Amino acid sequence: MTFLLRRLAFYLAAFLAAATVNFFLPRLMPGDPIQIMFASAGSELSLENLNALKLTFGFIDAPLGEQYLRYLQSVFTGDLGRSIKYFPLPVTELLGRALVWTLGLVGIATLLSFCLGTFLGVMAAWRRGTIFDSIVSLTAIFSSSVPAVVVSLIMLFVFGYQLGWFPNGYAADPLLDPGFNWTYISSVLHHGTLPMLTMVIVLTGGFAVTMRNNMINLLGEDYIVMGRAKGVADSRVMLWYAARNALLPTVSSLAIALGTVLGGSLVTEVVFNYPGLGNTLYQAIIARDYPVIQGQLLIMTAAMLIANFVVDLSYVLLDPRLKKA
Amino acid sequence: MTLFRQLLSNKKAMVGITILLIVILVAIFAPFLTEYSPVKRVGRPHQAPSWEHWLGTTRLGHDVFARLVYGARVSLAVGFGAGLAITLIGTVLGIIAGYKGGVVDEVINFFTNMVLVVPNLPLLLVLAAFIGQASPLVIAVILGLTSWAWGVRVTRSETLSIRQRDYVKSAEMLGEPSWRIMAFEIFPNLISIVGINFIGSVIFAVITEATLEFLGLGDPNTVSWGIMLYNAQNASALSVGAWWDLLAPCFALAVLGLGLALINFAIDEIANPRLRTGGMLNRWTRMVRIGEGKL
Repeated sequence: MTFLLRRLAFYLAAFLAAATVNFFLPRLMPGDPIQIMFASAGSELSLENLNALKLTFGFIDAPLGEQYLRYLQSVFTGDLGRSIKYFPLPVTELLGRALVWTLGLVGIATLLSFCLGTFLGVMAAWRRGTIFDSIVSLTAIFSSSVPAVVVSLIMLFVFGYQLGWFPNGYAADPLLDPGFNWTYISSVLHHGTLPMLTMVIVLTGGFAVTMRNNMINLLGEDYIVMGRAKGVADSRVMLWYAARNALLPTVSSLAIALGTVLGGSLVTEVVFNYPGLGNTLYQAIIARDYPVIQGQLLIMTAAMLIANFVVDLSYVLLDPRLKKA
Repeated sequence: MTLFRQLLSNKKAMVGITILLIVILVAIFAPFLTEYSPVKRVGRPHQAPSWEHWLGTTRLGHDVFARLVYGARVSLAVGFGAGLAITLIGTVLGIIAGYKGGVVDEVINFFTNMVLVVPNLPLLLVLAAFIGQASPLVIAVILGLTSWAWGVRVTRSETLSIRQRDYVKSAEMLGEPSWRIMAFEIFPNLISIVGINFIGSVIFAVITEATLEFLGLGDPNTVSWGIMLYNAQNASALSVGAWWDLLAPCFALAVLGLGLALINFAIDEIANPRLRTGGMLNRWTRMVRIGEGKL
């Protein structure tokens, strides 16, 4: 229990650190922070609205310490301010709209790559040194060293523009009314296929390498040799003796990967013009919509911390020694 | 030194080193490879590849090949500059934390863990957004200052085990100062980890620089592969059919990334003969990948 409490305290401190960075960044920049942050807002918003916006970021007529506390108060009560570009839309609502698309696209892509990568890793480790292993390893090297932006652009070029199999942007046909009917759903699937395929290509390599190396480490263990010596079927040794144990460290990297899902995949979403969180962040950067950028950073940090905490929890459940510590 | 000799007899390493050398030579001898200036209008907009313009021209009439060879300089400089900074900070802090232990270790470890859980790339985006039009140098500095945490963790855990070895103990008995032990007894035994850390950081820096610039956070007047991607995307190169504009930097980034990754895999094979492709590298691929997942 103390272990978990200590971790919890640490994550709280980390979140506080991220919020602090958020608070001080605009103030550390040369020039007037209010000017920098709300430059584009000045011409569009009324003075009253502008003042309300500044308040959530702690820009009040008070000493720095009080400004800081005021800012933390608004962050911890879930008030991330309002978007400048889409004023008066609250940042949380803007991000909430994008969340659905990101969860669908990036979440499913991560799970798919995890399954595919793990399977390939197990098979490659089991047939170490064969042609199959070389192909998987080399593909994994390639997939983990080519930037996501390059993979996305090439996929868009080949399948979007040259072959014309898939649309070049949006999550669904913009002319359709969103609804729970086959026309709309099939449009969503059609639009999602290419970005999803891209993400699977980008992510699978990492999972495959991890799993392969974990497996190879375990294949020398006594209980594997024992299993084979007593004549257990090969597939059973591979899956139930080796893969099951090799999977444990991989599960924690899956949890971390899922923690980053909330960031969306910025590059893929931008290239395919997909309306997820990553693209929202990108649009905010272009418009210098600082409240949205900063809110997104906090939400992504929170997601990462929660994912890390889930990993800690799973360790406690899987490794009884930690319960006593 | 043995590491280098072993690298030369490794097939993957040779391919990787050859690729890297070619890119380095191209960057150095860029003015001899093309007659065009990378920043001058030398042709009509979006000309297809031809004898005059090997890789065609951009929408502004710049020669794509000229921009590609000159751009290699920026990618390499940022990659190796930031990679060096990341490795230096990570190695020094990691060895100190692992060897000194106690309060020093607690403090370094606390900050390392803190930096590790705060997602790196969104932080970079926020920083770059506030700075606005970041030059390659600024990008390299930001990368160096924010990405060292993995290096510390890996180096520290390895130092912890090396610290217990006999030769370290005997050096301590002989009364050698601790900086000497760290620099001459411990560091040489970490060389393959430091190597993987370095090459991994270079890959990370090259990819991240290109990505930040592609997203419009870089200085648009730079001649670099990331800015080439940014300009091509802004000029809707794909929808007007000017594929050369976009695919040339894509190809260059992919080849450089692949070359560096091959070197990294080779170092790992040498350090970990049993695994052939082993554990340390694993963490690095994961870092690069997860890093991108965040972007």
